[in-house]
Amino acid sequence: MSLTIEAADVVKVFGDVHALDGLSFVVKSGEIFGLIGPNGAGKTTALRVISTLLKPTSGSVKVLGRDVVSQAAEIRRLISYLPEEAGAYKNLSGHEYLKFMAKFTIEDKEMVRETVEVASKISGLEKRLKDKVKTYSKGMKRRLLVARALMTKPRLALLDEPTSGLDVLHSVHVRGIIKQYVEQEGVTVLLSSHNMLEVEYLCSKVALINKGKIVAEGSPTELKKKAKAANLEEVFSKVVGFA
Amino acid sequence: MLRDLFNIIVKEVKELVRNPTLLLGMIIVPLVVFPLMGFAVQTSMEATEESMKNISIIIMDHDANGSIGYIFKEFLENRSITVDEIETVNLDEAAVYAQESNATALIVIPQGFSYNITNHLVAEMNVYIVFRGGGITESASSSVIYAFIESFKRWLAPNPFIAHHESIIKGKNIPISPDALFGLVMLQSIGMPIGIMMLLIFAMQFAATSVASEKEEKTLETLLTLPINRFTILAGKLTGSILVAVVGAIVYMIGFNYYMSSFTSAMPTEIGVDLATVGLAPTPLSYLLLGASLFVSLISGLALTVSISIFAEDVKGAQALVGPLSMLLIFPMIFMMFTDIYALPFPLMIVLLAIPFTHPMLASKVAFTGDYLTAVIGIVYVSIFTVVVLYVAAKLFGSEKILTAKLRFKGLRRRKRKTAE
Repeated sequence: MSLTIEAADVVKVFGDVHALDGLSFVVKSGEIFGLIGPNGAGKTTALRVISTLLKPTSGSVKVLGRDVVSQAAEIRRLISYLPEEAGAYKNLSGHEYLKFMAKFTIEDKEMVRETVEVASKISGLEKRLKDKVKTYSKGMKRRLLVARALMTKPRLALLDEPTSGLDVLHSVHVRGIIKQYVEQEGVTVLLSSHNMLEVEYLCSKVALINKGKIVAEGSPTELKKKAKAANLEEVFSKVVGFA
Repeated sequence: MLRDLFNIIVKEVKELVRNPTLLLGMIIVPLVVFPLMGFAVQTSMEATEESMKNISIIIMDHDANGSIGYIFKEFLENRSITVDEIETVNLDEAAVYAQESNATALIVIPQGFSYNITNHLVAEMNVYIVFRGGGITESASSSVIYAFIESFKRWLAPNPFIAHHESIIKGKNIPISPDALFGLVMLQSIGMPIGIMMLLIFAMQFAATSVASEKEEKTLETLLTLPINRFTILAGKLTGSILVAVVGAIVYMIGFNYYMSSFTSAMPTEIGVDLATVGLAPTPLSYLLLGASLFVSLISGLALTVSISIFAEDVKGAQALVGPLSMLLIFPMIFMMFTDIYALPFPLMIVLLAIPFTHPMLASKVAFTGDYLTAVIGIVYVSIFTVVVLYVAAKLFGSEKILTAKLRFKGLRRRKRKTAE
């Protein structure tokens, strides 16, 4: 199986803070890889480096064989990034927002229309897409953004807390969609989450990150076995050190 | 790339036009506030005109043997002025009467007035304007009285000669009074810099909002991971801001024109001077130079705004950071409105010429000065300035500073606090 992400000894420094401190991991194509860790562990910085938003201070990151520093433009054609605190243009309608986003990756008009149609189904917003984004609830906005991230069927989707702010029903719906995209469309997903239930349900592989480096890695079953824990929450507590 | 650019421009325009706060400043102020101000001015002008029809003068004629006082009274009455002659010889009493009877003025004709005039001696007349708190109406009425006195003088003793005032423009004699010409050119030289300044301020505000709102609304990160050239994003934002600013400036000028017309409509239209016929209207070349100068200044202003607003966390922060830039516009505008820049002290002239926004205002005067070379040099200077600032803006936009600038600010503050401790 080919590799979608190869991160080797990545360091990212902001002033005096080492946000990433020798981070190394690989994500295989077609898997859902979960990045979990306490607040400030470096999850978002890792996703920002992989999505070409930040340049690593040292170390290397490759996405589908391309370097995030020298081949950033190429990588941007293959990925889709959903930041944790993302917003949408509030004065556009949901439909206008999706169309605006789709046009950057798809040239054909008909294909753009179909893609927006797909996003409409993923988000479940359908008729509400005609309304301006500023009238949406937090959950509706998040569904719109998840749909935006997945509608173009990227080779790699980087999802930072994909279900944050969603109620149980919509969280289940979004998780189903993510799984379906990986299985049917060949999308690889790297996600970060605080919801261990979600990680356990979705991810085939999980890495625990603390203080900018990976402290444990494996499938949820392996991690639980290794830490002699009943669930991922316990694994997390034991490894990170609060148990 | 063009497709992406167009996509971004359309989005920018939609976002800006649908922003209620921006719309308020752009439409409501010029289309509601200006007409209201104009209405206020026009109403008071009309009130003034109306009150001028009711000018009344009290005459105290001490020149019982003379007839010129009587002729003066008739002269005024024939010109629809209400004249009231009083018998008293006491000035204080007359003043109280003038105040109480709502008269505009009290005129005292002294003894020997007619004798002096007929014998070519200096005759005197005292004119007392009744002051009721000042204001345009009173001042206009008193001017009318002075004008009547002057014309009565001319009527009594016609001018020995009449001087015709005409102008020479670009070496050609034009039969138009220079006063009228100064007035017209003044009106134009005020209007143009104000228009240019408004356009630039609008565009800069929009550009600042457009960059900062991406940060405030948390849309910037997503935008920067899309497969679009960063320069295209920048260009899209600048173009969108310019397009909306042009509409804003046009609307503003319509409102401003209406406001100004409330003054000019009340002014006497002594001559229908068409500047084009006297060779003072902009030629295609001067239009071209003004357009080019305006365009490069706009881009430089916007690039400057974008470079600065990258360091703001939100729209309010960006507007606060960009606010002082408007001083660079107002400063040259004030000088341009009142004087010729080359008549200023050398250091001040250099400071003004170093400000890129001075140059479109200078270019707007080319039609009057015919100094095309200065305009061209200005365009070259602003172009170089623009390229440099645009390069800085593009570099900042292309780097991760656009995301981390905020962090650095915090770090700086923390460091400062530490050193203070």
